Amino acid sequence: MNQPQTSAEDVRIAESSGDQNQYLTFQIGHEMFAVGILHIREIIEYGSLTTVPMMPEFVRGVINLRGSVVPVIDLSARFGRGESTVNRRSCIVILEVEGSTGDEDQLQEVGIIVDAVSEVLEIPPTEIEPAPGFGARIRADFIAGMGKVQGQFVILLNVDQALNTRELAELDSTVDAPRDGYDS
Amino acid sequence: MTTMATALQTFLDESRELLSDMELLLLAMESRSGEPELQNALFRCVHTIKGSAGMFGLDHVVDFTHVVENVLDRLRAGEIALSRDLANLLLRCRDHISLLVEVPEPSEAAALQPGGVVLLAGLEPFHSCAGSSHAQTDSTEPVAAEASRKCRIDIRIHADALRHGMDPLGFIRFLGTLGDVAAVRTLEEKLPVLGDMDPETCYLDFEIDLVTSADRIAIENIFELASDLYQIEVQDQCPVTEVDPVAAPLPAQPDTDESVESAAPGAEEQADTSQQNRRRKQVQHFRIQADKLDNLINLVGELVISSAAVSLGAEQSGDTPARESAANLNLLVEAIRDSSLDLRMVPIGETFQRFQRVVRDVASELGKDIELVVTGADTELDKTVVEKIGDPLTHLVRNACDHGVEAPAARSQKGKPTRGRVHLNAYHESGSIIIEVSDDGGGLSRERILAKAMERELVRPDAVLTDQDVFNLIFEPGFSTVEQVTNLSGRGVGMDVVRRNIESLRGTVELVSPGVLGGTTFRIRLPLTLAIIDGFMARVGDATYVVPLEMVVECTELSAEQQLGAEQHYINLRQEVLPLIRLRAHFKLSGELRKRQNIIVVRHGGQKAGLIVDELLGENQTVIKPLGGIFSNLRGLSGSTILGNGQVALILDVPTLIQQVARQEDAANRGFQSHARPRLSAS
Repeated sequence: MNQPQTSAEDVRIAESSGDQNQYLTFQIGHEMFAVGILHIREIIEYGSLTTVPMMPEFVRGVINLRGSVVPVIDLSARFGRGESTVNRRSCIVILEVEGSTGDEDQLQEVGIIVDAVSEVLEIPPTEIEPAPGFGARIRADFIAGMGKVQGQFVILLNVDQALNTRELAELDSTVDAPRDGYDS
Repeated sequence: MTTMATALQTFLDESRELLSDMELLLLAMESRSGEPELQNALFRCVHTIKGSAGMFGLDHVVDFTHVVENVLDRLRAGEIALSRDLANLLLRCRDHISLLVEVPEPSEAAALQPGGVVLLAGLEPFHSCAGSSHAQTDSTEPVAAEASRKCRIDIRIHADALRHGMDPLGFIRFLGTLGDVAAVRTLEEKLPVLGDMDPETCYLDFEIDLVTSADRIAIENIFELASDLYQIEVQDQCPVTEVDPVAAPLPAQPDTDESVESAAPGAEEQADTSQQNRRRKQVQHFRIQADKLDNLINLVGELVISSAAVSLGAEQSGDTPARESAANLNLLVEAIRDSSLDLRMVPIGETFQRFQRVVRDVASELGKDIELVVTGADTELDKTVVEKIGDPLTHLVRNACDHGVEAPAARSQKGKPTRGRVHLNAYHESGSIIIEVSDDGGGLSRERILAKAMERELVRPDAVLTDQDVFNLIFEPGFSTVEQVTNLSGRGVGMDVVRRNIESLRGTVELVSPGVLGGTTFRIRLPLTLAIIDGFMARVGDATYVVPLEMVVECTELSAEQQLGAEQHYINLRQEVLPLIRLRAHFKLSGELRKRQNIIVVRHGGQKAGLIVDELLGENQTVIKPLGGIFSNLRGLSGSTILGNGQVALILDVPTLIQQVARQEDAANRGFQSHARPRLSAS
């Protein structure tokens, strides 16, 4: 019950010690991605996922995270690259994103499936290039920037966009939407 | 200071209650005006408010209620009769009092002054015509009928009284409004030596002689607010007429507690029983802060989940004593769950009663004569649901009065009684509560709705719609068939909001015409609670689903020959047609069909359906966890729950599931029809 509080405190401590340049890097498919460490809540083993029917394929299901039910998103499917296959090193990274549904602007927990978690890196702002106009094969607004790490680029994700709750909710109506039943 | 705030909150709560009583009484008196009980009760309401307000020094409340009280007093004395005008006026006075009470500072009440002045002017003829002689001063206000007598009031005050803001002086002053304070004796035996005295502690007790016609209860009521700080004994003494107050045996009375007891054992006994009465009252009702209760219910939810885990563990360990204890624990947890949820259950009657006033006001504004009939008032539902259902209901009731019931002239033309009826009804049905709002008006015209819908381009001209589809159109945004917009309704804002509000409570609303009384009936179906339910678990593929147990009628195996036709969507269940929903197919789940399949027969409203599942897992207690934001548009699932083994199970929303399947089928059929018979439009 007091988890949000502690997390808020963590964030504050983190901010004061200059953690905003720290990123967690992980692999999805063959590409490296990174998410600001302040968005990360925890990393758990992949498993005991409950599939939610009638949802698009990028919603892999829900898990029980110590008593609260958290959705798990397959980013690979979200980027239109097909469902990711689960391997031995697959993990679920629990992120905190802005819950933009309705009037509650509190943080929401969302899990993403990653093929492997690499490490936490420090990427100073000087080492971050703006996102390319095209070429990344990912919607431009999902990318916060391109980080240079040892001569390689990693894609810094804008998780608030990529996991935007409202957008995800609107995408889910694969089955008939009862309200528009009349004029069809 | 916080205790003072608590006391003030108590006053507010109490006043709100009294004011709603007052409204009901006034409405009841319109039909049964002669009953002295109602008149007395009404008087007491206002009197108590005035009394409590006086104690808090809320002069603006006291001043106004005082006049109202005078009028009511004359009413109960039979000096004036309750005309419709007076009833109207008193209802408006009630509203004004409720405004006044909510204003915390007398200074802020100035804004309400003009309204009050108008009302007071209206009351003028009722309280001054006969008796200017006794209307003006407080002390003479308890009128005539009862003989004045002298009471001895013995007040023992707790040392903390001053710290709690319960200044004895306020009480004593206020006693003056009940009668004449003939004598006040200060008992100062508790006073310490000056050096030890704490200025915030109350050391004094009082004995007061009061000449009054008010009865013991009325006197005790004054102190009710501070009942834990003030011990009151009221002893009746001889009527004033017989005994000279000065010569009353007061000075002879010793001034310590013990001797009072010995001197007047009878009175002591009486006081004792009255205290017992009060204690009994406290047992009956207990105010709890709502969030404390919510917190408790959250904890009970966690407890339910943990105890499921314990049971599972015990089951797996195979240890018999452990299993027995777990079973016992489960029973207890179930009982705790039920009784804690029960705490939040309130009868819907209170909500219904509010509509007496709504109907009355709307009717008089529209020049109609409408009676509100209420049944099923003791049907209980969760307080959180009750709070949210008020607005949609108000809307439906106003609609029934405005659009449903016809004007008197039109009614008599049709040979109906001129007095229209609006009926509010509530009952339980398979795990839901049903609330019906019916009117005996003309009902809805399918043609008019359809015409309007086409005008608004809500339906295509060639659409083929069932009656139900057509009626459901009125829940579309921006829909209204009434030509002229009244200030009550008709703007078409509302019905869509009503539906949205009800759906946000996991409920449904439908319209039936002709309804129960011949006009229209709105039927609202709501879940009894939003927190914990009894569920029935079943497995489809790898996933576990939960069906609310109240909806489950029976379970049966799908026999081999029934399984053969995958195209078959109904079976013969004991000579009844049972439509089937193949969950695996409907949810587009992959995986092999099992050899054996089972049917869960569920009922929603009048509709039965069979859910085909792989395996039946039995009952469990289901703590409803809402699915997060990204599932907000998902239909057919109402939430999730966590099982004993830590897995998440999804809760089926049977009503929308049935609706979904029906619509899909409908859409398929309609597609076929419009091919076969193009332009067979609903005209």
